[in-house]
Order: sequence, then C-alpha cells, then structure tokens
Amino acid sequence: MSAVSSSSAPAGAPAPAPSSNLKRTLLIMAGVWIGGMIVLFVIFGSGGRNSTYQPQNEFKLDNWVHLGVFSINKAVLYLLLAAIATCASMIYIAKRMQSRPNKVQTAVEMLYQLMRDNITGGNLDEKMAKRWFPFIATLFLFIMFSNLVGYIPLPTNTEHKIDVLGLHIPSFSLYAATANLSIPLVLALLVFISYTFEGIRAKGPIGYLKGLVPGGVTGGMAVFIFGLELLSNFMRLMSLSIRLFANILAGHLIILFMAGALAVILGVSALAWFTIPFGILLFAFEVGLVAALQAFIFATLTAIYLGGAVAEDH
Amino acid sequence: MLASLANLSASHAHVIASSGGFLIEPGIGLMIWTLLVFGATMFLLSKLAFPRISEALGRRQAAIEDSIDTAERTRAEADEILSEYRERLKEAREQSDEIVQRARQAAEVHDREAKERGQETLAEAAKRAERDIEAATERALQDIRKEIAELTIMATEKVTRKTLTDEDQRRLVEEALSELDFSGISSGAQQN
Repeated sequence: MSAVSSSSAPAGAPAPAPSSNLKRTLLIMAGVWIGGMIVLFVIFGSGGRNSTYQPQNEFKLDNWVHLGVFSINKAVLYLLLAAIATCASMIYIAKRMQSRPNKVQTAVEMLYQLMRDNITGGNLDEKMAKRWFPFIATLFLFIMFSNLVGYIPLPTNTEHKIDVLGLHIPSFSLYAATANLSIPLVLALLVFISYTFEGIRAKGPIGYLKGLVPGGVTGGMAVFIFGLELLSNFMRLMSLSIRLFANILAGHLIILFMAGALAVILGVSALAWFTIPFGILLFAFEVGLVAALQAFIFATLTAIYLGGAVAEDH
Repeated sequence: MLASLANLSASHAHVIASSGGFLIEPGIGLMIWTLLVFGATMFLLSKLAFPRISEALGRRQAAIEDSIDTAERTRAEADEILSEYRERLKEAREQSDEIVQRARQAAEVHDREAKERGQETLAEAAKRAERDIEAATERALQDIRKEIAELTIMATEKVTRKTLTDEDQRRLVEEALSELDFSGISSGAQQN
C-alpha cells in the first residue's frame, strides 16, 4: 500500500490542469497496482491451494479464563470493550455538557435526538417513548459501539501468535461481539420479551393474542392467520438477531478475504496485492455505514414492535 | 443446568470448529454475559448519561425559547417606542408648523398694523402741516391787513391833512379791506 501511495506523487509536470493531473495520478496508481500484481505473480507464482487455513477459525472462541459456563473468551472481551466504550464515551460527554457545544458534543446531541425523536418518539406514544427510551437508546448505542469496536484490529487471535523479542503476542485481528449469534440473539430475546410484556399489559393475555388476528377475519381463516402471526412473532426473533449477526460477520469475512485470506487460501500471494484496495474500501464502508445502520435498524424495529404490541389495531 | 450445557458445548467443540458450525451455535455462557453486560450498560447510561444529556438539551431548548421570547418582547417594545417616537415627531412637526403659522400671522398682523399706524401718522402729520399753514397764512393775512390799514390811514391823513378819529380809521380800514381779495392766498395756502 505504501508503494501505491508513494507512486501517486506527480512527477513535476509543468503546471497541468487539475483534472488531467488527477487523471494521470489515477492512471499511475492503476499501473502500479496491476504492474505490482504481475511482478509479484512472476516472482512468487502460485504455491498451490492451502487447505490448512480455515478462515472461519478467525471467529472461533477459545476460552482464555476457565470459569465454567462463565468462561471468558474473545467475545466476552469484545462485549466488555463495547460496554466500556459506550458507557465511558456517553458518561464523559454527559458530564461535560456545555450550553455552547463543541463538535463532539454536537454529534452526541444529534445521536441523542435521533434516538429520542426519530427512533423512539417516531414509533411510540409519549408515555411509551418515555418508558422505553433507555432500553431502545442503550440497544442502539451498545450495538453501534460493539460494531465499531469490532473494526479496531486488536491482538486477540490466540491461534496465531507473533514472536516479538521472545514474547508470544497474539496476532492482530478484527472481531466483533455482534459477529457471534449469541449476542444479537439475547438482545432480540430481550426485545421479544419486552414487546410481548407490553402487549399483554396493555390488552391482557387474551386480548393480546386476539389482537394478533386482524379485525374482521373469522372462522378457519382466523385460526390460520393466528398461527401465521404467532410464527411471524417468533420469526422476528430470528430476523432481528440473524440480520445483525450475518451483516457484521459477512462484513468481517469479506474484509478478511480482501485483506489477504483469499490469497492465503488460493496460495497466490499476488492476489493479496490485488484485493487490498477493495479491503480498504469495504472497511471504510463497514465503519462509515454498516456499523451505525445495523444499530439503527435494530433499535427502530424494536420501537416499531413495541408500538405495534400496544396499538389498538394490529 | 448451565454447567451441563457448558460441558455439552465443549464436547461438540472439535466437530463444530472444523465445519464452522460454531458461528451459528449459541453459547449459553456468552448469552448470560451479554445479558449482564447489556443490563449494566443500560443501568449506567440510564443513571449517569441520559438524564444529564436530556437535562442539558432541555435547558438549551428553554434558553432558546427564552431568547426567542425576549427577542420578540424587545422587538415589540422597540416597535412601540418607534411608533411613540413617530407620534411625537408628528406632534412636534405639527406644533412647529403651528408655531410658524402663528408667527407668520402675527407678522402679518404686525405688518398691517404698522402700515396702518404709518398711514395714520402720515395723515395726522399732513393735517398738522395743513393746520400750521393755515395758521401761518392767517397770521400773514392779519399782518397784511394791519399793514394795509396803517398804510391806508397814513395815505388818508396825508390826503386829507387831518388826523382821523378811531371811528374813521376803522371805517376806512374795513372799506379798504373789503375791496381787497385774499381768497387766492388763503386757498393757495390751504392747497399747500
């Protein structure tokens, strides 16, 4: 990558137009990119398919501290990191709220207003919004921070260690708590329990179950729709958790592949040179959009489900 | 129960690891950890972060609303003051116009009176002059009559060689004077 960026410097042309300068720079970069790949392929060639490397093992959870069912592994570490990042940043900002905000405070205020006015306020009535705001806002922030922490390379890969002056340091890797199904599943379960509880509280157990069938549907069709709606409620549990888990896992996997895993598996070193720019682009895309978007979707769906559970007409 | 679940998951670990099945295998321990960590996060945020942010935003909103209210009030006051000022300016202008008008009228009256007084003075002076002329003429006529009488007496005494009595003198003077016509002098003096 350093070769690519150093080659992007213009070679002292006599004051060309900016657009042609940019075009030339891009052409040089593309030339270095493709040329570098050819050179690397010629030098190193193909080492044959590597069957020992299993990319999924990057996500394997080895217990580091054995405490029975509460054993601490990589996912627990990332959970704690996400919680610490969420609490520390929010409490730090909250304690230093100024009447004339700086940029960070403005960003946090915008985030808070998004959670309060759009996600919660837009889907729930005032009373419900006030009651459920802490839950929905924590979901949003916790998932977002968890996703973002997952894009920081940390020395957590205990399967592959680097020898630094005799010290065996785990190699740096990307991992996210939300890339493990257990974590989104628990959050989705909390959502499921919350909206079911709210629905039952608002309408009573019978009323809530009756509310699953749309008004006007009677007889056999009502039974069929009831079954379908009941199933769809459990499907929400699946869709909420799998959407988040699969998005983050897929994002990490594709970054992993573009950052070199593909080259390792296929045994073609030159391929890593080719895929690394895509890896960088995907990394930026995941950090800039997917991390916050998935948190937003999860929190918004939670608010919608809660609002739907207490609504008069289902 | 949790321990047995952990043992179960451990015994299947090698099978799952090779196939990648662990990716979709929920772990009960991790689920409990998630519950605890999420619960703690929610508790901390609800106690330490959200109320403060909400309060600060509320305070800011109140301050903004207050500023808007103050600005509106100030503007209303300014409008009121401006209209009052305009009213006063209008009154002052009217007053000044009135003063100028009155001054003009007073000047006109004064001018007219001065003219009238001048004319009166002039007429009076003319009358006085006329009277003076008449008096002077009368005096001159008296002098002339006296002269004529004396001349007539002297002439008569010379002619008659006798001294006339007072009776004769009076009769002669009256006769002589009656023959003389002073009307021209008198009227000429009057005209002057």
